[in-house]
Amino acid sequence: MTAPPVQQAAAITTFGLGRSYGSGPTRIDALADVSVEFGQGRFTAIMGPSGSGKSTLLHCLAGLDRPTSGQVLLGDVDLTRLDEKALTHLRRDRIGFVFQAFNLVPTLTALENITLPLDLANRKPDQAWLDVVVQTVGLKDRLHHKPAELSGGQQQRVACARALVSRPHVVFADEPTGNLDSRASADVLGFLHRSVREFGQTVVMVTHDPTAAAYADRVLFLADGRLHEELADPTAESVLDTMKRLDSSSAQAG
Amino acid sequence: MLKLGFRSVLAHRLRFVLCTVAVLLGIGFVSGAMVFSDTLSAALKKNFAAATADITVTPLSPLSGTPNRPPTLSSDVANRIAAVPGVAATDGQLLVPDIEILAKDGRPIDTYSLATFGASWPHDDRTAPFKLVAGSAPWGTEQLTLDRNTADREGYELGQKVKVVTPVRAVTATLTGFTTPGRSGTSAGAPLVSFDGASAQLLLLGEPGWTSIAVALQPGQNPDAVSRAIQTAIGDTVQVRTAAQVSADGESALDDTFGGLTAALLLFAGLALFVGTFLIVNTFAMVVAQRSRELALLRAVGASRGQVTRTVLAEALVIGVVGSTLGLLLGIGVAGLIQYLYQRLDLAIPSATLQVSAATIIASYVLGVGITAAAAYPAARRAGKLPPVVALRADTTVPERSLLVRILLGGFLLLMAVLMFLIALTANGLPAAILVGLATALILLGLVMTLPVLSRYAVRALMSPLGRQAPIVLGRRNAERNPRRTAATASALMISLALVSGLVTIAASAKASVDRGIADAIGTSELVVTGDGGRPFSTAVGDRLANVPGISAVHRVRQSAGEVGDQRVTLAGVSDRTLDGPITVEVTNGELGSLAQGQVALPRNLANQLELAVGKTFDLTTTTGKHRLTVGAIIEPNHQLDAVVTSLPRFTELGGGQIDATLYLEVADGTDLATARQAVLGAIQDYPSVAVRDQQAYAAAERGPINGVLGVVGALLGFAVLIALLGIVNTLALGVVERTREIGLLRAIGMDRPQLRRMLQVEAVAIAVFGAVLGLLVGVLAGVAVQHVMVDDGLSVLDVPVLQLVGAVVIAAAVGVLAAIWPSQRAARLDVLRAIATE
Repeated sequence: MTAPPVQQAAAITTFGLGRSYGSGPTRIDALADVSVEFGQGRFTAIMGPSGSGKSTLLHCLAGLDRPTSGQVLLGDVDLTRLDEKALTHLRRDRIGFVFQAFNLVPTLTALENITLPLDLANRKPDQAWLDVVVQTVGLKDRLHHKPAELSGGQQQRVACARALVSRPHVVFADEPTGNLDSRASADVLGFLHRSVREFGQTVVMVTHDPTAAAYADRVLFLADGRLHEELADPTAESVLDTMKRLDSSSAQAG
Repeated sequence: MLKLGFRSVLAHRLRFVLCTVAVLLGIGFVSGAMVFSDTLSAALKKNFAAATADITVTPLSPLSGTPNRPPTLSSDVANRIAAVPGVAATDGQLLVPDIEILAKDGRPIDTYSLATFGASWPHDDRTAPFKLVAGSAPWGTEQLTLDRNTADREGYELGQKVKVVTPVRAVTATLTGFTTPGRSGTSAGAPLVSFDGASAQLLLLGEPGWTSIAVALQPGQNPDAVSRAIQTAIGDTVQVRTAAQVSADGESALDDTFGGLTAALLLFAGLALFVGTFLIVNTFAMVVAQRSRELALLRAVGASRGQVTRTVLAEALVIGVVGSTLGLLLGIGVAGLIQYLYQRLDLAIPSATLQVSAATIIASYVLGVGITAAAAYPAARRAGKLPPVVALRADTTVPERSLLVRILLGGFLLLMAVLMFLIALTANGLPAAILVGLATALILLGLVMTLPVLSRYAVRALMSPLGRQAPIVLGRRNAERNPRRTAATASALMISLALVSGLVTIAASAKASVDRGIADAIGTSELVVTGDGGRPFSTAVGDRLANVPGISAVHRVRQSAGEVGDQRVTLAGVSDRTLDGPITVEVTNGELGSLAQGQVALPRNLANQLELAVGKTFDLTTTTGKHRLTVGAIIEPNHQLDAVVTSLPRFTELGGGQIDATLYLEVADGTDLATARQAVLGAIQDYPSVAVRDQQAYAAAERGPINGVLGVVGALLGFAVLIALLGIVNTLALGVVERTREIGLLRAIGMDRPQLRRMLQVEAVAIAVFGAVLGLLVGVLAGVAVQHVMVDDGLSVLDVPVLQLVGAVVIAAAVGVLAAIWPSQRAARLDVLRAIATE
């Protein structure tokens, strides 16, 4: 591995992050002692078998879930010290989301969905930036359609545009291509990739698809709630190899 | 299938609580009304059974109603009945209503709207309607007895002086005895004063005669046979009834007294059930839409259409049974409470234990279960029609059915309603008002049908002033997204508010009309003398007032009942010169001078109704039979004289009693009004129930009953608001459950709790204001139309109480805000991660 030293400031840093459910003998550690940095302007993928804690990690990073131990620093803000209201406003102002499905509010048009975080914050969108984002996702002629009138791929691109429009500190994507065919997937991933390259956006994506992970600069592998390995400048093949290796090692361990 | 249904109810407790409450409220009022009226009639039956002679003979009035001067029979009739074979004894009896007993402080005792009777002392124990329990029978005009209840309540003891006011005169006499009704001695019945026979005729009637003749039979005689023999002997001028018949008639007469209360309870019941139906329809539609995948799965694993339909209906059944049971209990509670309150008031209403009849129980369950099942049926049928593939589809939303059928049907109804409205507006009087009512009902029905189409535009228009902030736009869109649901929820409020605003408009117009009518009709007379509750009073009052210094003239108006054909009319006798100024009368046609020749004057609306004109003749039936009258004048509708108007001598010839209904006093020049009023009050202080008022006070007193109506309308509004609240809470709560994922998404991308609450509030307020505004428009339209067609029948002035109506809309909006509290708390508590993960 020839991981380059991290030159940029970290967008997110975690220290000894842990998330457990239940207590006593029924206690389950979904995450245990995860310390990791996510560089600014970098596209990081998180992978791992189901139950490995990758979604829990993403939720903790994004302020949707509260870790039971450790710290999450978003820039210089410690998420674990924020109350519910502050967390909500932080998600609104500094974080962008793309979920696997059901990303859009069905009663709002594509454009209204895109500007929703800004509207909730009572902020005016930066028209030039909005135009750029819309141009990039290629939805200019579908802006006034309701989600029900858009294809799955178009809906995910609207979601991406919404995630970007407030120029968030980080965009989190949770299996953004899980429900899409390969062509639509390529569109969405290409768009996320460009946002990193062209706009310097920081993106953290959870996926189980090696092809999707190949779009990232770096892949983190999780297993049993722990950070297991990482891969810089991945290709679909190298990701697949690593996954196989992890599988067999965990099979041996199990 | 019942088991599945039952499980489903348990699994979704929350949503079914609201449906159950709706059923409960409706059935509660239905069963409350039934239990109350059963209890009352059981008590009345007990009294009548105890108080009746074997056979009762009463004069047959030519009039169907009860005139204020009772028709009488002579002692001669009693003698002829005594000669009929099988009759052991007869006893002439006198029973006269409209008596007042004065309490020790000189005020009339409060009878809580029950009539007070004066009676003659019975001669024969076998036929006595009441009996002595202490003291001795009265003798002469200086002695009387009271019923024990009244005496106890007022603290009268034997030997004390008691004042009573009869339609003939005021009497002060010594209390010699206490009575209780009937043989069984049950405490019950109206207040009763009695004198010995001859004194009773003098003091109560002012002339000889009996109001009934009680007959005792010889042992072993058949009452029916003897009663037929009496009928044959006396002829068809009398009514002959056996004890059983008297009981039955008496019950129905007394039932009428409390009919109003029962009717009010039933009105609330109707409203509750109606609104409840909407709530249930809504809930089940949502439940089926939400569970479509689960239901389709049932179909996929082999359940038939019917079975799926029945699963859903089974849930309705559980709700219906639970709601009806609780409602029945609530109803018994309500009836018990009313009875308790009456007893606390010390009201002399007959008491009996609460009667819960089989009919009440059956009606409660049939109505409760029937309405729930009927309301759930459309959704249940739709559930049965779900194709099994829905179970395999990812997207679980059921497409909205087309609204075309609704638009066509609703449009047709609206068109019909508009036509009916136009027809009604060309006519006038009560039939036209009823037509307006029917047209309004049709409009409401048509609107309920087309509301989903309207709601989209109306909600947008109504909510646009709130601005374009994200939570507001989202709330508004939520109200628009499911037009059927919004419409059904708003319908409930629309109907309630239409009812309320229509009634308020009519009542306000009635008030304004009374004011204008009195101001227009009363001319130079400055003081108006009336009896409490519109009861007539002795002519002695007028005689005395004529001699009061400062009073320059006393004008009398007497009233009695009559019939023209089968139309009931009021017959009014007016003293000379009354129409020359004290009462302002506008003559349309003919001459008022004709009254002196025995002709009559008719208000224009009455003349139109009876199709009469000046110079025509018609037959008027009064207590003394048929009389042919000639129309001498047609006058404009007059608030004080809505009657066939005659001169006083002619009034007496037509059988009208020597009792005054209203006196109009003219105050002499130079005498101050207040001084004159004091002098008048001083002259008639032993007639405490006779009131002397100036014009304003008189108008206020005349408006009094309308305030009572407004009170009921207020209660109706409060109740409607409560139920509407339930409906909106229900819709919002279901919406929150249904949109769990969407709410999770909104929370994830940064909607805070206050914004979430705002979003739900906007949706609730949109529904509430939409329903309220529409209801208000329809109600006011109906109210205005009713006033228009009744312009000659008591509603001469239109008054739309804008302030109250705006208040109603504000209340509706507040209800929306209130309704959002609980659902938004639920929504705010949703865990974001779990909400997003929800299927």
